Amino acid sequence: MMPRSILVTGASGGIGRGIALACGAAGWRVWIAARRGPEAAAVADEVTAAGGEGHAIVCDVTNDDSVGAALAAAAGDSGGLDGIVHNATSAFSSHAGPIGGITLAELDDHVAVASRGLYLLARHGLPLLAAREGAMVVMTSEAGFEGKRLLAAYAMVKAQQRALVAVLAREWGPLGVRANAVAPLGWSPAMADAFVTDPAMEQRVRGRIPLGRLGDATDDIGAAVRFLLSDDARFVTGQTLMADGGSCPTS
Amino acid sequence: MDGPPALFVGTLASARLADALGVRHVLRPPAPPPDRGWAPTDHPLLETWRSEVEAGPQAAGVVVCTWADPPSPAPLATLEPEAWRTQVEWPTSLWFTTVVAAAGRCRDGGALVVVVERPATLDAPGHATTVVVSDGLVNLVRSLAAVEGARGVRVNVVTTEVHTAPDPLLGAAPPLSTFPGRVGVEVAGAVRLLLSPDAVGVTGTALAADCGRG
Repeated sequence: MMPRSILVTGASGGIGRGIALACGAAGWRVWIAARRGPEAAAVADEVTAAGGEGHAIVCDVTNDDSVGAALAAAAGDSGGLDGIVHNATSAFSSHAGPIGGITLAELDDHVAVASRGLYLLARHGLPLLAAREGAMVVMTSEAGFEGKRLLAAYAMVKAQQRALVAVLAREWGPLGVRANAVAPLGWSPAMADAFVTDPAMEQRVRGRIPLGRLGDATDDIGAAVRFLLSDDARFVTGQTLMADGGSCPTS
Repeated sequence: MDGPPALFVGTLASARLADALGVRHVLRPPAPPPDRGWAPTDHPLLETWRSEVEAGPQAAGVVVCTWADPPSPAPLATLEPEAWRTQVEWPTSLWFTTVVAAAGRCRDGGALVVVVERPATLDAPGHATTVVVSDGLVNLVRSLAAVEGARGVRVNVVTTEVHTAPDPLLGAAPPLSTFPGRVGVEVAGAVRLLLSPDAVGVTGTALAADCGRG
């Protein structure tokens, strides 16, 4: 597998950290883009320890200038960019509650981080990816297929992300750039928070996984993302890969 | 439900559908904020709108049609941030607010049908903003169906391609020659079906009234 240079948003912990470490283990250069600089730096060190080359950069995916600056810096330092992974998600993502109780401020944050963030990464990232015939991977969710009674805003923006991936694949194909999504069901701090908020949720979630466990952020989820970024997936675009142990029957 | 839906919420772009359904009462949503696009300072506008939708008697059948004049096709990466906010963030907040409030207007055992423009994936290049809003709403319908089922309220969505069908078409022509569909026939018929007692077991479903384009 050829070493690549990639940028991962929301990579200061959880699934994003797992993606970064999986790519680092393949010897890739990984830019950890997050609002929390110190935490991003810590993950960058872990990437280097895993055999890759880790770098941290502060980035607010909801802000046009911030996204543009982060991508330009990463590509400039690396001589180009082969991949972008949009993993960042709203701080409200694990806040379960009735639909009628979702505030406009909460809805705004979901849309800004998940959907606007993807748009801004596409807007600024396309020239860089086109120069290298690179790839974008978006971390979505099974919620993006099914809807969620208590996580309706989160589910909605995950569906929006899947929609954008499908369109981007068609718009970017002529440029040799691929776009795919991964819908993970992995252990993460956000999942842990959700289980605390709704204890019955843990039983429901685990009860529908044929393989009987949540995925490991690095070895299960990160490996799937690494595949989609690599040349091994050079003929795969516009897809959503379910890395969920068979949980979501929609696929 | 027999007879026309008691409440229809939609823009002027959906007037033909409202007429075809013979609705008794139509609510028009607020226009998007001009020039600078959607911003959190516009929340009071939507709070007022939510109250307007929630007011009034409960109904056996409610229709929300999210059609708007489609923006000129453009690749997503070329879109300016202000256009993104106007074409995606405003309608997302508007229709999320509207659909949730409209569900509350359904009486127990009633039905809500949401109508969205959703070009087939094959036809979607250049229409990213339309697709992203509509797919978000399809998902919201599924979430809402799970919530409202306890009251026996069914929530479904009809997807259309009447405003964004390309000419010429890529690939094979759709099975039915009437593609992209006639508002008063294919679209209205799908809405009536989902509102009717014949669909008593159907909820959380997206019905594509697109003549088989897929």
